[in-house]
Amino acid sequence: MIRPITLAFIAMAALTWAVTAGAEPDVTVTVDATPGEVSVGDTVQLQVRVRARGGRIQGLELSDLKKYPELEIVSHQTVRPMQFSFGFGSGVQMESSLSDIYVLRPTVAGTYAFAPAVAKVDGKTYRSAPLTLVVRPGMGDMQGGSDLDAGNDATVDSELSGARYDGRAFMRTVVKPSEVYIGQQINVTVYLYTRLRLAPQSVMPGKPSMDGFWVHDDPITSLQSQMVTVRGTPFRAYVLQRSAAFPQRSGELTIGPPKVTFDVGIGGFFDAPERVERVGVPVTVNVKPLPQPGPPDAVVGKYTIEAWLDRTAAHTGDAVTLRIDAKGVGNVQDLRIGLPPIAGVRTLQPAIRDQQQFQNGKLSGTRSWEWILIAEAPGKHTVPPIDLHFFDPETQEYGSVSTPTLTFTSNGAAVAPSSAIEPANTRPKPRIATFGPIRMYSALTRDETPVRERGWFFWLLAFPPALFILIILGTSIARRREQRSATAGAIQRQLIRSAADALRANDPRSFYDRIVASITHALDSHLGEPVGGLPHAALRARLVDAGFDDDLAQRLINELEGADFARFAASGVSKDEMERCLQRTTAIIERVQRSRRNV
Amino acid sequence: MRRAWYIALALFVAPLGAFAQGPAPAASRSSLGEIFEAANVAASRGDHAAAISDYSKLVEAGVQDPDVYFNLATAFAEAGDYPRAILDYERALTLRPNDGKATKNLRAAEKALEEQRAEAEGEATIQRSSSISDAIYGSLSENSLAVALLLANLLFFLCLAWASVGRRRVRWLYPLLIASGIALLFCAIGLGAKAGLLRNGPRAVALDDHVVLREGPDPRAQVRGEARGGDRGEVVARDGDFVKLRTVSGLEGWTPASGVGLIDPDHSIH
Repeated sequence: MIRPITLAFIAMAALTWAVTAGAEPDVTVTVDATPGEVSVGDTVQLQVRVRARGGRIQGLELSDLKKYPELEIVSHQTVRPMQFSFGFGSGVQMESSLSDIYVLRPTVAGTYAFAPAVAKVDGKTYRSAPLTLVVRPGMGDMQGGSDLDAGNDATVDSELSGARYDGRAFMRTVVKPSEVYIGQQINVTVYLYTRLRLAPQSVMPGKPSMDGFWVHDDPITSLQSQMVTVRGTPFRAYVLQRSAAFPQRSGELTIGPPKVTFDVGIGGFFDAPERVERVGVPVTVNVKPLPQPGPPDAVVGKYTIEAWLDRTAAHTGDAVTLRIDAKGVGNVQDLRIGLPPIAGVRTLQPAIRDQQQFQNGKLSGTRSWEWILIAEAPGKHTVPPIDLHFFDPETQEYGSVSTPTLTFTSNGAAVAPSSAIEPANTRPKPRIATFGPIRMYSALTRDETPVRERGWFFWLLAFPPALFILIILGTSIARRREQRSATAGAIQRQLIRSAADALRANDPRSFYDRIVASITHALDSHLGEPVGGLPHAALRARLVDAGFDDDLAQRLINELEGADFARFAASGVSKDEMERCLQRTTAIIERVQRSRRNV
Repeated sequence: MRRAWYIALALFVAPLGAFAQGPAPAASRSSLGEIFEAANVAASRGDHAAAISDYSKLVEAGVQDPDVYFNLATAFAEAGDYPRAILDYERALTLRPNDGKATKNLRAAEKALEEQRAEAEGEATIQRSSSISDAIYGSLSENSLAVALLLANLLFFLCLAWASVGRRRVRWLYPLLIASGIALLFCAIGLGAKAGLLRNGPRAVALDDHVVLREGPDPRAQVRGEARGGDRGEVVARDGDFVKLRTVSGLEGWTPASGVGLIDPDHSIH
């Protein structure tokens, strides 16, 4: 038996449930940006959130996000937590929320106004407050954006060199300058122009081939973009590669087409990304030889040179280090200097070290040589000046720098020349391996043309398939002819049988119809053309042309004329006459089938 | 109909008979034979330099014989020049793929080179080609594949014609048709592989101990890496005295042609 207090509890709970179920859901929609003001290139977190107590969330959208491709989506996360609470006062409470968290990277300064986010809960629409995001110019913009110097003019010329224009995305290779001297630096920058919202982490650039160049790459550490207008259409331009290249030979050198793949279409959480691939165009560089006359060992660039000894006095047999540093703008790996022999001094091979840096679009550096000089005789030793000739492409003039004359003294007894100081580059002795006896006999075969390259090989290879095709074609034609003949014969027999049926039924009109049809069909089949419409005189001439003898042709015409006449005067025809006509027709048709047709 | 078959068969078999007779003997066989004898005598005496010189003369004179390459490779190996020994053993095996002794010596030369290098540097590995086509067709010569292709081609189309138009069906016709079709495909792929259709260029062996691979065909171009003597690769481009070598490991770069030897006898670097 249920106690009254239990009944009261159940009633209260039911009432609470009913009240709760019938109540309006408590919905809150918010849009927040953290921080509210950012610089170009920085990231900002944009959170769109709907919270509903007592209702079912059906959707959440911030439509204005698609309006601004300048706001690059770095990441997107959807969170949908749900919680239940139980209380005597409020019954079972279900609270659910849905959040879209975007991490954005603005690429263009400006004020971005977002219309309210719209959420749908239990079929009703709820809106947030609008949001304004302020993006200040970044450091790169203020400095002129050295990464994007080619696109910094914000408008690319309509000729669009180094690119094949595509309305969605295209690659562009910018080479500056495009005409240089051998060994002179060119700057190669590969851009991706795109109107697609790409995922930066999915960008996979492929380097262009640069055969004939010595290349120094300036690594791209982060993918940054800038808005550029091309043929009136705004594009985002990304720098994918930046290199300093030095042509190693004169003539026309080609920089191969660059390539890139990237994913687009990650605006929605469940959207499958689309893989996009773009290939650029090759770019030609005209490389001139250095102007003549000039020093034969001149390198391209502008250099200074320094030289010093680590000490100016040493005992005979001790080492003195001579160091020469060549420093300047250009490819220091091109630098070559030689130390002339110094009397009474043994010189070891130099150690060479390079330091290079790429700044403001120029490759510069220092090449250092270190020689170990060993005085073998006492006295004063002189290191003569060493010249370095270069051609400065900016001034279009040759220049030259020299080291000063350096001296050092050595004391002590003379040292016998030795070769044991330098590590011996001895080759390890070959392992004693047995390779077996040599072959005493040989056919001494001369260079023979392989079978596959001999003239008859192709014909022998083609012969079986060609023969097969001929056999198939011949068989097919023969079968078709047989089939046609068999079909014509069957119709012929059917017409004769139906004429015999008409004879038995004593139906002259039908009988002569069949006779005419039978003769006409026999002629059609034999001649391969319809003859039913020909006048009898023309038909006779055609039959004679086709090789029928006069008698047969005349008999055919007579039979056709007789049958035509009998068809229209059927009442006067006797059954005997019809039987004779049938016999004649059968005999004539057999003669027609036996006769050969003139071709 | 039967007469037509006989004619077709006769047309096919007649050139094969001419092929079976082989090429006419070389006019300069006697002088080449003397050089070969002299080279053999030098090799037997242990004068590897003279033997190498004489065998090389034969090769320069156009002799493309597996036994000559075998002896040349053996002379190089005995002299301790293992990369060149590897090159000439490979050439011998290209001309006579099922030469067991040449295969054994090739492995011995590779092993000796590895041991020599390991002794000097601590470790060593030689990059060998290991393609599927080499594994399948390695023991078959190009000419035998070409003849087999012709026979399989004839058999396949004969069976096909019989199956298409023949009035009498025999039990073994369709198995024979399938078998000949498979043989035809096998031979066609093999011949394509031997002819280099599956490669990017002629096969090559690095000859120098350090073959420096550069960005461009110039000694001043930036270094991309290096191949070691005995490493296999393919020559994918040429420019003057430079070749672009792609090693088995995928490294690619320009190097002087003198440091690389081509395995396939019908190719030359210069």
